[in-house]
Amino acid sequence: MSFSQPQPSNAVSRRHAITAAAQTASAAVATTALGSNNSSRANPLPPTAPPQQPPPHFTPKARHLICLHMIGAPSQLDLFDEKPELVRRHGQPCPESVTRNRDFAFIGKTSVLAGSPWKFRQHGQCGLRLSELLPELGTVADELAVIRSLHTTEINHAPAQMFLHSGFGRSGRPSLGAWLSWGLGSENPNLPAWVVLLSGPPGGAGTSLWSAGFLPGVHQGTQFRSQGDPVLFLSSPPGIQIADRQRQLATLQQLNSLRAQQTLDPAAAVRNSQYELALRMQSSVPELLALNEESPQTLGMYGATAGKPSFAANCLLARRMIERGVRTVELFDADWDHHSGLQTALPRKCREVDQPIAALIRDLRQRGLLHDTLILWTSEFGRTPLQQGTDPNSAGRDHHKDAFTMWLAGAGIKQGISLGTTDDFGMDIAERPVHVHDLQATVLHLLGLNHEQLTYRYQGRDFRLTDVHGQVIQEILA
Amino acid sequence: MSLLLLACLFPLFSPEPLPQNADRVSFIRDIYPLLSRNCLQCHGPAQQQGNFRIDSRNDLLNHTIIVPHQPDNSQLLQRIALPQSDEQHMPPVGNPLTQTQQQLLRQWILQGAEIPDPFTPPAHWAWSPPVKPTPPQPHTQNSPSDSPIDAFVQQHLDDHQLRLAPQAEPQVLIRRLYLALIGLPPSPAEVRAFTADPTPAHFRRIVDDLLQRPQFGERWARHWLDLARYADSHGFQRDDLRDSWAYRDWVIQAMNNDLPYDQFTIEQLAGDLLPNATESQRIATGFHRCSPTNVEAGSLPEETRAEQLIDRVNTTATIWLGTTLECAQCHDHKYDPFTMHDYYQLLACFNNTAIEADRANPAQPSSIRFIGPEMPLSDPRHDSARHSLQQQITQLQQQLDQRRRQLTLELPQWARDLQHKHTHQTQASVILKAHSIQSLGTMDAWSTLPDGSLLVTGADPPDNDLVTVTIRQTLQNVRALQLETLTHDSLPGQGPGRGDADRPNFVLHELTATVNRHAAAPEPLVFTAATADFSQQKWPVAAAIDGKPDTGWAIAPQFARPHQAVFLLSKPLTLNAQDSLTIQLDQHFGNGRSIGRLRLTALSAQSADTQNSSSTPDPQHEQLLAIAAVPAADWQPAQQQQLLDYRTQLDQPSQHLQQQLLKLQKQLQTLAPPTTLVMVEQQPRPSFIFQRGDYRQPGAPVQPGIPALFRTTQQTPQPRNRLELARWLVSPRNPLAARAAVNRWWAELFGTGLVTTPEDLGSRCDPPSHPELLDWLAVELQEHGWSMKHLLRQIVLSRTWQQSAHGSPELLQIDDQNRLLARGPTFRMDAEMIRDHLLAVSGLLDHRQFGPPIRPPQPAGFWSKIGGQQYDYQVSDGSEKYRRSIYIVIKRSAIHPSLATFDGPARFTCTVQRSRTSTALQALALLNEPVAATAAAALAAKLLNSTTDSTDQQRITTGFQLCTARTPQPQELQVLLQLLQQQRNALQHRPTDVALINNSRPENSTPPTDPLEQAAWTTLATVLLNLHETSTRP
Repeated sequence: MSFSQPQPSNAVSRRHAITAAAQTASAAVATTALGSNNSSRANPLPPTAPPQQPPPHFTPKARHLICLHMIGAPSQLDLFDEKPELVRRHGQPCPESVTRNRDFAFIGKTSVLAGSPWKFRQHGQCGLRLSELLPELGTVADELAVIRSLHTTEINHAPAQMFLHSGFGRSGRPSLGAWLSWGLGSENPNLPAWVVLLSGPPGGAGTSLWSAGFLPGVHQGTQFRSQGDPVLFLSSPPGIQIADRQRQLATLQQLNSLRAQQTLDPAAAVRNSQYELALRMQSSVPELLALNEESPQTLGMYGATAGKPSFAANCLLARRMIERGVRTVELFDADWDHHSGLQTALPRKCREVDQPIAALIRDLRQRGLLHDTLILWTSEFGRTPLQQGTDPNSAGRDHHKDAFTMWLAGAGIKQGISLGTTDDFGMDIAERPVHVHDLQATVLHLLGLNHEQLTYRYQGRDFRLTDVHGQVIQEILA
Repeated sequence: MSLLLLACLFPLFSPEPLPQNADRVSFIRDIYPLLSRNCLQCHGPAQQQGNFRIDSRNDLLNHTIIVPHQPDNSQLLQRIALPQSDEQHMPPVGNPLTQTQQQLLRQWILQGAEIPDPFTPPAHWAWSPPVKPTPPQPHTQNSPSDSPIDAFVQQHLDDHQLRLAPQAEPQVLIRRLYLALIGLPPSPAEVRAFTADPTPAHFRRIVDDLLQRPQFGERWARHWLDLARYADSHGFQRDDLRDSWAYRDWVIQAMNNDLPYDQFTIEQLAGDLLPNATESQRIATGFHRCSPTNVEAGSLPEETRAEQLIDRVNTTATIWLGTTLECAQCHDHKYDPFTMHDYYQLLACFNNTAIEADRANPAQPSSIRFIGPEMPLSDPRHDSARHSLQQQITQLQQQLDQRRRQLTLELPQWARDLQHKHTHQTQASVILKAHSIQSLGTMDAWSTLPDGSLLVTGADPPDNDLVTVTIRQTLQNVRALQLETLTHDSLPGQGPGRGDADRPNFVLHELTATVNRHAAAPEPLVFTAATADFSQQKWPVAAAIDGKPDTGWAIAPQFARPHQAVFLLSKPLTLNAQDSLTIQLDQHFGNGRSIGRLRLTALSAQSADTQNSSSTPDPQHEQLLAIAAVPAADWQPAQQQQLLDYRTQLDQPSQHLQQQLLKLQKQLQTLAPPTTLVMVEQQPRPSFIFQRGDYRQPGAPVQPGIPALFRTTQQTPQPRNRLELARWLVSPRNPLAARAAVNRWWAELFGTGLVTTPEDLGSRCDPPSHPELLDWLAVELQEHGWSMKHLLRQIVLSRTWQQSAHGSPELLQIDDQNRLLARGPTFRMDAEMIRDHLLAVSGLLDHRQFGPPIRPPQPAGFWSKIGGQQYDYQVSDGSEKYRRSIYIVIKRSAIHPSLATFDGPARFTCTVQRSRTSTALQALALLNEPVAATAAAALAAKLLNSTTDSTDQQRITTGFQLCTARTPQPQELQVLLQLLQQQRNALQHRPTDVALINNSRPENSTPPTDPLEQAAWTTLATVLLNLHETSTRP
C-alpha cells in the first residue's frame, strides 16, 4: 500500500492550523513555532515570524476597513433621507395606520409628525441629495454608495450596537473586526490588526463592541486611548530607558531559549516573539500617533490639531494606520442620541464630523489608498419621523429600527449611487430592504471572505457573523 | 506503509494519533463516529440533503458516494479533499476533515468499505450511564504504579509502543503540585524540604496538606465562578455594581469543605427550596442570580426575564448535561437527540422566580430599575449597635406622633388664621406652575410636589442638562424671578444636585427667560442683578446671568440644604392669558451637576425687596387655601392629612425632631448588613414553547421536565420544580453530570480534557482520548461521595500527572497535542494565577480572605461611565489591593486589565474553557503594569535584604528559585550576572532614573540603603518575573 505525497490545500490548511493552535496552546500574531513546514523542532527558537496572514476565500476588493460609527444614532431624516411630505405635514398627528403594530422606546403613538427644519440640496454628478448640515460630505458625493433602506432587529442602543457589530443582540460573540483579524490576520507585525479610536465616551455596549467573543483574545480590538498610555501599559515604568529594556529583553530571550532547548516547549518561542513585538510597539505606536509629522495643510484639511483629541484627529490617525497596514480601524463618535434638543445638537455634531470625514475620503483618494480601503459609515439604528417632546424648540426624535441610512465608499463600491427608498414619512422601507446581516455579508465579501464559510466552532456549534442570514448587496458592488 | 508513518508525515493535522494496530478499519468503531460528527447535521434524521443520510447503509452504498475498493472514484473522498473555497467542498461549514481522517476513510474504502448488515447506528456513548471498567492489568516493566489511571493510560501507550515519561524533577513536580492545588508557588524552604526527601510517601503527605489549606478553595473557585458567570455588576449598558460576593465566598468555602458535588449542585440550583433552608443554602442560590440583567432605559422587562431564563437553562445544560442544549431554543437540535419541547420543559423548572428588572413607573418605558430579590446577611458584629439605634428611632417617632396629635387639635384654628392672613395680604409672590418641562435625561421623569416645587427622578442623570420650563399663567407686575433649589430624600445626598451623594452640587451656567406673546416675536427677558443666600467661591450667582457659557452659580460645600436666588428684571413683566413664559436652566458642567428639585416664583415689587427673608414654603398654595377655607368639620381625611403635613413642615419642634430622626436613620443605613442576591420562588407561571426561540410567540404549553432521552420509561416521574430537577441532575439516572465534572477537573490539571471540548460531550464532540478512564473517574467520583478532593487526589498521585513535561522531537511528531499523555502537562497560567504568583514571589501577597471585592490600581478613566451610575474608582487601601485575584471586582463592561489581558472572560455567559493566548499586550502588562513594577522592586529589596545570601550569585539563585522553584544552571546564572553588571554600569551615572525606578517600591517600605543596587536589582527582578517559565505551569 502506498500513498502519493499529499497536497495540502493552502486555503484550508493554513486557516485550520491557526484554529488548532489557537484552541490548544498559544496562538498569537506569530505562530511559526506551531505552524509552517519549515519550523524545525530541533531549534525551538526560529527567527521572528512574519505576521500570520491566512489567505482570503477569494480575491478581495478591499484589504482594509475603516468603520465610522456614530453612537446614539443620527437622524437620517435630517441628513440623508429627504421627506417633503413630512415637512408639509409637520406638527400634524401621525395617521394611525402608520404607527399600528409598532413599538417605540420612549414616545407614545400620539406624537406628531416632525419634518426636517433643514434644506436638502443636490451634490456632484450623481445628484445625491444631502442635508445642508453635511456640506463637506457633499463635495465627495460621487464617491458614496448610500443605502436608505437599512433595518435592524434591536430597538435599544446596547443590543442594537452589539447586533450591528457581532450579528447578535447580546454580548459574547466576536465583532466584525475580530472576524477579520481571525480570518485575514495582520499586515503589520508591529501593530494590532484591529484598532479602535473613541471621541467621547464609549457606546452603550462599551468594550463589548470590540470584543473577540469566543475567538482567541488576540483578535480583540485594541483601543488606542486618548488619556494616559495610548495602548495599555505601553510606557516603561519611570526611569527605565529603552537601552535597559533591550538588555532585559536580550537576557530574557536567552534564558527562555536555554530552557526551551531542554523542554522543547513551543510556547517559549511564541512568547519570545511577543516580547519583541511589545518592544517594537513601544516605538511604533508613538510614531504612528505623531500627528505633528503631518503638514499644516493636511491638518487643516481634516480640521485636526496635533496633541488635541478629536474626531478629526482620529480620522487622520485612521489614515496613518491604514498606511501602516492595520486591517481594521473603527472610530466611535459619541452623543448622537437626540431625544431632545435636535435643533441645536445635530448641527453641532455635524460640524464636528462633516469636514474630517470628507477629508479622510479625499486624502485616501489622493494617496492612492482608497482603492483597497473600504469605508463604512454606520449607526445602530435611525430616528423616528415622529417628534419626541411637545415643545418644538427642544424637541427631538426617538429610536427607529425599521428604516434608516448608512453609506459606504472606497474599495469595491459603486460610486455615486443610492439604494433603497422609504415611504413618504420615512417610517417604513418602500423599496429594497437591506438587513444589517446583509451589510455584514457584503463587508466580508469585499474583504474576500464568504460569510457562510467564515465559521468558528465554539461549544459545539459553528458560529457565523451573519448567523443563518445575510445576502451580499450586489447592487452596490463596483 | 503503516499508518504510524503516515501520521509522521502530517503531524500538523493530527489532533488524534491513529493507533498503530488499527490496520483493519472498523466502520462501527472508526468510520461512523467520524461521519456522524461531520455529516449528520445535513445528512441525518433532521435533514437529508442530496437525498441521502449517513446513518443508512443503503444510502451510503447505493450511490457513487462510496465505491468499495475504489477510493478515487468515491465522491465522499473526492469532495472532502477539495479546497474549502470550492463550492463542492464537504463539509460546507466547519473545519475540513484532517489528513489523518481522510486517510482513515481511504483505507476503509480500500479494504472494501464494509458496513455491517443490518446496520443500526450505535447510541452515542455519553447518553448511557458510565459503568466502572476494570483497570487493565499493568505490564510490570512499564508501569511501576498501582494507580488505575496509569493502567488505563499505559494501555493506550502500549498500542504505540510508548511508555510514560520519567517523573518530573522534584523541584518542578512540587511547583506543579502547589500551583495545581492552591494556585500559589511553594516557598524555597518547602521546595528544599521535598527535594531532600522526594519519596511518594512524602509527596502524598504534601498533597493531603495542600488539600486542607484555605487557599485551595480560592484557586478552585476561580474555575467554578467562570462556569457560574459570576460578576459584581449587571452587564449591558447600565452596568451598575451589585452585591453578590457572599455567593463567591460560599463557593470558596464549599470547595474548602469538600462539599459533595451532588450537594454542591442541589444547594446552588435550589437551596432556597430545601426544607428549613439555612442562610448558607440560600446564599448558594446566588449561582443563578449571576445572569446578566438588562436595566437599560427602554428595555422590555419581560424580554429581560426571558433572556435570563434562557441563560439559566443554557448554563445548567452546559454544566450538568455537558451538551449544547441551547441549540434547541429555536429549533429541534440538529444532531443531538433534544427537541424544543425538551428545552422548554427545563425552562419551565426555572420559570417561577421573581422578576429582576422592571419599570419604576409603569407608564414610562424608560424608568427601568433593578428590583431583583436581595437577602441581608447575618452580621452579628453590628447587631447591638443597630438595636440601640432602632430604639432611639422608635422613641423619636413616638415624640413626633405626639407632637402631630397636638398639632391636629390646633389645626382648625390654624387654618382659620391662615385663611385670614391670605385674604388680608396683597399678592406679593406667585409660585410658577410648569405647563411643560423638557430636559435632556432620557430616563428622567418630572413631577410637581404639593408645595409647587418640581422634582426630577431617574436613575441615570444625564451628564449635562438643559431644563426648559414653560409657564402659562397670568402674572401682574413681576419684578423678579426667584429660583429655589431644594433638597429631597430621593436625591443623592439629599441634593439639591443630582451628581453623587458625596458632592450633590449643581452648576447653573445660565438662566434665561423668554416671553412668547400671541402673534409677536419671542422676547428675551433682561436681568439686571442676581442675589443668592449662598454662592460657592468663584461661582457667584451673578455668573448665571452674565451670558458666558463657562461661568455659573454653584453651592459647594453647602450641600443637603435648600438655597435660593433672586433675579431682578430690567422692567416689570405682565403675562396675559394667551402668553407663555419659557425659563431655561443651562447646566453643562458634566457628571450630573444639575438641580434635582427646584421651585420658581414670580416676585412683585414688594416681595422682591425682601428676597432673602426665608425660604419657607409659600402659604398661598391654592390647594391648601381651598382646604383652609372649608370648615374643619367638612374636611376629608386626606385633606386634613395634607393640611397637617404642611403645618408640620412649618412647625419648629417637629422639624427639629425630624432632623434628628433623619440623622439616626442615616446612621442605621450605614450599619445595614451587607446583602446578596438569591433565588426566590413565586407562584408558578404557565410555560410555553417559544416559537423560533422568541418569547413573544408562545406556542404549545409545557410542564417542567427532563429531556425525553433520559426518561427510560414513561413512568419515570418528572421533576416538578428546581429542587427536583437538581436532584435528578446528580442522580445516577443522569449519565452526564459526573463525566462532565471529572473531564473539567482533568482539563484544569492537564490543560486539556480527556474530551477536548469539556463544554460539549454530545454526538459531535471528538471522542475521549481514554474513554474507559473517563468512565472510571466518573464512577469513582460517585462511589466516593462525590468528593472532588478525592478525585483530584487520585489524579495528582498518578504517575501520568507526575511525568516530566519535556517533549522529544519524536514524541512531538507522533502526538504534538499530547493526547496519548506520554508526557506531563505544561501550559500558561490563568490570569488570576499569574497575578497571584507575582504577588507571592515578591512577598506582596495579602492572604486575607473573603468579603467585598477589592480594587487594585488600574489606568485612569478605565471605568468610564456608559450608562447608569458614575463610579469613582477608589484603589483599595494598603495591602488590601494585593489580595488574591479571586477578590478583584468584576465589572462586566470593564474587566480589570490584569485579568482581561490574560484571557479572563467578561463573565457574560457560562465559560467552560478559557482561551490561552500569547500576545504582545501581555508582555507589556508583565513589564509595565504598576503591580508588575512594584513586584519587581519588592523582589529586589527582598533579595538585597536577605540575611542568608551575601553574594550576587546567591541572591540571583534565591530569586530564580522563588520564581521557578528550581536552581539556575551555571549558564543561566552567568547570563543573569552579566545583566546585573551591565545594569550597575548603566545606572551608575543616572541618579534621576535610579530614584524614579526606586519610586516603584511598595508604599511604606523602608528606603534602600544603596539606591543604585536597589535599582539595578529591580531591573534584574523584572527579567525573573517575566521568564516564560515563571508564568507557565510546569
